[in-house]
Amino acid sequence: MRVILYLVIVFFVYRLAWRAFGKKWWANRETTAPVSKKPLGPVQRKFFTIWVFFVVNIKRLFRDGTALFFTFMFPLIFLFVFGSFSKNSGTNFHVAIINQSHSPLAKAYVHGLESSKIFKIDKSDTTLAQAKDRISKSQIDGIIVLPPGFGTQKTGQAPPNGQVQLLYSQSNASTGQTLTTVLQGTLKPFNARYVNLQQPFAVNSKALNQKNLTSFDYTFTGLLGFAILGAGIFGPMNVFPELKKMGILRRLHTTPLRVWQYFLSVMVGNAVVGLMSLALMLAVSIAVFHLHVVGNYLELAVFLAYGIVVILGIGLSLGGWAKNERQVAPLGNIIVFPMMFLSGVFFPRFLMPQWLQSVSTYLPLTPVIDGARFIVTEGKSLLDVGPQLAIMTVWLVVIYFIAFRVFRWE
Amino acid sequence: MADAIVKVKNLKKSYEGKVAVDGISFEVKKGEIFGILGPNGAGKTTTLEMIEALRQIDGGTAEIDGIDVADHPYEIRAIIGVQPQSPGFQDKTKLSELIQLFAAAYGERVNPKQFLDEVNLGDKANSYIEQLSGGQKQRFSIVAALVHNPKVFFLDEPTTGLDPQARRNLWNLIKEVRDKGISVILTTHYMDEAEVLCDRIAIMDEGKIIALDTPKNLIKQLLSKGFKKEQHVEQANLEDVFLDMTGKGLHSE
Repeated sequence: MRVILYLVIVFFVYRLAWRAFGKKWWANRETTAPVSKKPLGPVQRKFFTIWVFFVVNIKRLFRDGTALFFTFMFPLIFLFVFGSFSKNSGTNFHVAIINQSHSPLAKAYVHGLESSKIFKIDKSDTTLAQAKDRISKSQIDGIIVLPPGFGTQKTGQAPPNGQVQLLYSQSNASTGQTLTTVLQGTLKPFNARYVNLQQPFAVNSKALNQKNLTSFDYTFTGLLGFAILGAGIFGPMNVFPELKKMGILRRLHTTPLRVWQYFLSVMVGNAVVGLMSLALMLAVSIAVFHLHVVGNYLELAVFLAYGIVVILGIGLSLGGWAKNERQVAPLGNIIVFPMMFLSGVFFPRFLMPQWLQSVSTYLPLTPVIDGARFIVTEGKSLLDVGPQLAIMTVWLVVIYFIAFRVFRWE
Repeated sequence: MADAIVKVKNLKKSYEGKVAVDGISFEVKKGEIFGILGPNGAGKTTTLEMIEALRQIDGGTAEIDGIDVADHPYEIRAIIGVQPQSPGFQDKTKLSELIQLFAAAYGERVNPKQFLDEVNLGDKANSYIEQLSGGQKQRFSIVAALVHNPKVFFLDEPTTGLDPQARRNLWNLIKEVRDKGISVILTTHYMDEAEVLCDRIAIMDEGKIIALDTPKNLIKQLLSKGFKKEQHVEQANLEDVFLDMTGKGLHSE
């Protein structure tokens, strides 16, 4: 429900933006403002060209509903879908509890487990046999059994006692060991209540990193990467062949406009629009998924803008080279899909085998996603993400070298 | 020719061994409308594109206002205006913005209204290009190519696909451009257009110029060879009837 509400809010924000940018804001100012007659210097002229191309193309974008949808809404939809996935996987152990005891202590213990954040209690099983079946299907990690008489006080002076039984799958021994330790911990307060124990040796544990990375942190930066990939590669890959087909680039070619001027106007435009889209994703993530941004927003913006420009180069190469859409689609997929799956867009890279991780480190999108995560969730500065920036810069040079070489106006 | 602004000498172009333009030479004077006529595939468009610095020149030289085309393509592009065969403009962009865009491509800052008024599109300043009729689009395309006040204006088959009124309107517009002192080079395969519009014409066939003179002289030469049209000439034709009935000027667009 909340998701729908947020979508509605975002939709209205987008409508408002469309009205502001598409109809009134720039348009009126521009047709009524007198044209300044101050002559431009030769260098100024070159950048004036880029500026006008940038402004006109941004205005055009805000009049184009389809483009707006794919720029702003599409990444958000992904964010909601993947965000709700990763929200549920926050708990550590899925367990079933079979309580065969009727003692108040057993009840209190179960209640304690249920309110613990470490366990997610599966309540669908009522009998031990059902639970065992589910463990064999790996649907739960373990079964906690409180045998009859657990926690009842035997006749005599002895305090109440009992044994918590833990059943786990043999194929998942490490989980079993961890669970055992955790459960022992849970019994500590009960033991302390009845026996005064002074342990000469104890483990004193202390968390070093309080900014624990949640799976949403990975999801979020992965989806940032996805948005950058979409806007930077699929955008130009579809738009440029269209511009060529309509003869628009050909017409521009008859003017003294240089390729670098045209590229620069597209780059600035993409960086600005891309940052707007990423900012929207960031805002939604903070509001809905409680993303905790540790890093500096300005540094994040600079880093992401640089990432957008690097990735855009791939789109400019593909779109600039292609004569038509059919020619470029297969090549685009060959380039985009490995990045989508190996750079940590949809699942984090640490899940991959080591050799794949070392290869995927050097894909162009990987440093963008990693660097963004370091800044957002670990509060690193631009200096700290130097290695990422270095890989990105090498790619920038390579990609734009190719982009300028293969560009065709028609 | 002392007052020649465009000088083309022995220009050659071939595609994969097939000769498209076979060593043509001509000159265009300042402030004249020069027509290149010929059937499809004669090499008209290729010739234009070489002079416009859009296509590599295989042999010979082209020069505009004393600047060599092959050596200084960007200087050339700054002093020419080009109207391609099918003018394309990006959609969802206002006419005033497109004018600014094209001016900016030349590094110029202009007042769009003034240019749009010149071609009776002043009230369309806030319309998108896709809302214009074919004739309006052509007029807009012409003014968009002239935002930087070029010395030579190239048009590739400007009236193809237009109705008679729009054609006539465009002819007048092209004459106005010429009267401002801009040399106009256009290709066409309509003979009536060449006869009415062009000060001089070159007829191309199979990559070569087979005739170059004023339309009048070319007709005279033919008549002096004893040519006679079999059919007797009427004082009006069907097009005149059509124009008379539907109004000579613009449609009320």
